[in-house]
Amino acid sequence: MLIEGQVVIHERLGDEDQRLRKLVLKGPIAQTAKAGQFVAIQVQDFSISSFDPLLRRPISLAGISSERDEITLLYRIQGRGTEILARAKCGDKLSVMGPLGKGFSLPDEGELWLVTGGIGIFPLYPLAQSALAQGLTVRLFWGGENQSFLESAGLSSWQGLGIPIHLSTLDGSLGQKGLVTVQLKELLEKHAISGGKIRVATCGPKKMMQAVTDLCLDYKVPVEVSLEERMGCAVGACLGCVVTLTDEAGTLIHKKVCQDGPVFQGEEVVWDESC
Amino acid sequence: MSPVDFTTQLAGITLRNPLLTCSGTYGFGEEYTAYCPLESLGGITLKGITPLPRLGNPVPRLAETPAGLLNAVGLENPGLDEFVKSYLPKVRMLPTAAIANISGFSLEDYVQLARALQKDSGLAALEVNISCPNVKHGGMHFGTDPQSAQEVIAAVKAETDLPVIAKLSPNVTDIVGMARAVQLGGADALSLINTLLGMQIDIHRQRPVLANTFGGLSGPAIKPVAVRMVWQVFQAVDLPIIGMGGITTWQDAVEFLLAGATVVSIGTGNFVNPQAPLEILKGINDYCAQRGFASVRDLVGLAHN
Repeated sequence: MLIEGQVVIHERLGDEDQRLRKLVLKGPIAQTAKAGQFVAIQVQDFSISSFDPLLRRPISLAGISSERDEITLLYRIQGRGTEILARAKCGDKLSVMGPLGKGFSLPDEGELWLVTGGIGIFPLYPLAQSALAQGLTVRLFWGGENQSFLESAGLSSWQGLGIPIHLSTLDGSLGQKGLVTVQLKELLEKHAISGGKIRVATCGPKKMMQAVTDLCLDYKVPVEVSLEERMGCAVGACLGCVVTLTDEAGTLIHKKVCQDGPVFQGEEVVWDESC
Repeated sequence: MSPVDFTTQLAGITLRNPLLTCSGTYGFGEEYTAYCPLESLGGITLKGITPLPRLGNPVPRLAETPAGLLNAVGLENPGLDEFVKSYLPKVRMLPTAAIANISGFSLEDYVQLARALQKDSGLAALEVNISCPNVKHGGMHFGTDPQSAQEVIAAVKAETDLPVIAKLSPNVTDIVGMARAVQLGGADALSLINTLLGMQIDIHRQRPVLANTFGGLSGPAIKPVAVRMVWQVFQAVDLPIIGMGGITTWQDAVEFLLAGATVVSIGTGNFVNPQAPLEILKGINDYCAQRGFASVRDLVGLAHN
């Protein structure tokens, strides 16, 4: 659907150095949205309409509240589009398309492990909420640059879920120093011995998701990955945001991040062909 | 106030209104139905097809520019056989006129495509893309040399009973010469314009942004070029023109009509606002009604008087 979403909260998230923002929009998108889906939001200057920047910005849903008719978007200011978006004030109305794409799936039983790096954490929160509501066991592996980032990007909300959390930072200021995959490998190893059903969902830098997928394949654990690509139409018409996958016969095929994804099965993805 | 007459004749087909969507921006008609009912459109132009399936170019395929968009999709499409088998049955059922868009790498490619697509396929017309800038040795060669352009159109015309629309490239010095050439080839209408060849460099990586290096520029940034070309061709060539190139608002659409376009087509504008076609139609209607034009046809070429 296409709505005029009213800004009800738009505020800094954590330390200003992190350039993170929380945007809560009122509108019926929450009624049908699920974790892993996204919206395409117009980021024009709201007082004077212009076509620069031209395209909508795809932003994942970081919160879905059907009771309050609200969606939450968390984003980092890192270009002209998000610079302009950051100027939207409470009460402003933004043109929002969504919910778009296909989200994560939940296993019927067992454990859901969330593995993420940086702001890839944002779409995973509603997934954790849905999984917990369904009685699944949820575990989080989250890597970030440093303590300031993890705390700014919502660590306390995650701690509020009461799930096991494995943190890593590049500088060692919080959790284990190094990459998120180190702790993932340790636990996959342990779990391989004890048995039990696990599903992994991952979102973050491409290299991290590729490493996570490789590990999961090694341990025969199913993994869903949330991919990103430069997007044009956001509905599957322009073929701008294709990702290369292999089909069952091993043939290279293209699928569209916006319409077929952004969530794909990790083992299908041909990482070197995709940006 | 009596309602404004939107009915439009184009190359022997009757459209309920003069508004189309551009090839490559509207898929095969199913993608935008949640935002813009197809029955509100005069017609849609389908994603371009080639004889064989194509995966197209690697990513990144898109780069945003000031009020514009560079794309280098590279004619990704399912190929003729798959189009006929899996897409055409659905296309026939669409509640609006469907125009197929064909591209080739040789005269034989165009002939093969045209032979397979006839009136009984349920299509309203064939748009011949002789102007794709994004494939090597591709369509643009035919679109920049008048003799080749004439030959391609004549070959297509000889193979199909559908009306033939020539989609011209703006990457030429003499657009009128190209228009005259395809008219001699037997074109029934013209689509003006395809994208302008451009590129963008990432100054941090010190590399081109697009994997294909070059791409086709579309969006509001190219509108003045498109309006100028519609104007020139309208003056010189007696063929109906489908005006396109950056149409995003109703004011843009009216500008193209006044310049001489019989029909206008929305491309990149759909990405900006998926309801742009609806808003544009309403805007044209109000413009005509307020100024006492009984028919949208009264606007065509009016700025030349």
